[in-house]
Amino acid sequence: MKFLVVDDSATMRRIVINSLQRIGFTDTVEAADGQEALARFDSSIRFVITDWNMPNMTGTDFTRALRARPDGAHVPVLMVTARSVKEDILTAMEAGVNNYIVKPFTPQVLKEKIDALLPAAAA
Amino acid sequence: MSDSRTQEVLYETEAALRLVDRGLDGLRDDEGAAADAPSTGRAASGTSTALTFEGGLNELPAILERANAQILAVLARLRETRAAIETTTLERIASTHEKIREVTSATEDAAINIMDACDRATQMVDDLDAIDAEPTPDRERASTVRASLRDELFVMMGALQFQDITSQQLAHASSVLVDMEQRLIEIARLFDTRLDVSGKMTAVPEAPDARTYDPNATVRDAESRQALADEIFTAVRSNAA
Repeated sequence: MKFLVVDDSATMRRIVINSLQRIGFTDTVEAADGQEALARFDSSIRFVITDWNMPNMTGTDFTRALRARPDGAHVPVLMVTARSVKEDILTAMEAGVNNYIVKPFTPQVLKEKIDALLPAAAA
Repeated sequence: MSDSRTQEVLYETEAALRLVDRGLDGLRDDEGAAADAPSTGRAASGTSTALTFEGGLNELPAILERANAQILAVLARLRETRAAIETTTLERIASTHEKIREVTSATEDAAINIMDACDRATQMVDDLDAIDAEPTPDRERASTVRASLRDELFVMMGALQFQDITSQQLAHASSVLVDMEQRLIEIARLFDTRLDVSGKMTAVPEAPDARTYDPNATVRDAESRQALADEIFTAVRSNAA
């Protein structure tokens, strides 16, 4: 299963990708912001993990744009962000995010959220 | 009188004096220009100087009147700016101090976590060496130690998440500094409208892109914040179902 990991922090991209490898997902694509993620997204990508605060295009704008595409309408999107106030979480849901991880996260939380969304990713 | 009020009065007085000084400079310039003007004769020159001086004295009340109006305008702007600065000082600076303290603390916590994990990992490598040195190495035990070693390396990597959060906190602090800088330049210009800071401020950075950081980013209470997110997702989904 191919993952698209979107974060402007190279450190965070490496942490997420290493965490994915550790739980058995080795096929990953990276992007540093929403614009780059939209350009890299194709139908082979079955799971998206995105940050919120990024230059050029934020994670919520990227998710909205992704949802407007036929090939991205149903792909699971997991947001991993430092934002954690109620309004932000609701905004992310409205944008089309399927689940939400607050930074800093543990590998266990990442695994739980991915496991919960795997059926949708496999569909 | 409090220190801050004393400073305010000093600023206001200085501004008023500058304006009056500028008015008097203008008066002197007029006199100087009249004195330097090509004369058509001693009597004519003397008459001209006397007239200008007399005219200048006549103008003094008007100059003072204009200065007074300008001082009042300056004071009004000062009050506005002071109110804005007070808000900034009380709210934004205080939260920025807190963020910077948190950066220090998060950096130290991460360093300690990584060093602790390094110590444990080093001990595990020693254990593996000891197992290897045995006449009949215990492969099962070695496998367990290796798994624990991988866990420790993972702990070290996870601890590096602080970098993403502290960089957002520093971006927020930087934006507050840029904002304060702009306000200080505005105040400086109140005292001297000809002030040109462009040459002196070449190194002033732009405020970070507000989309790239969360002003509330924190490393604290991650578990309870995650629990809140889970609770909201569950509630919204059950309402929608």
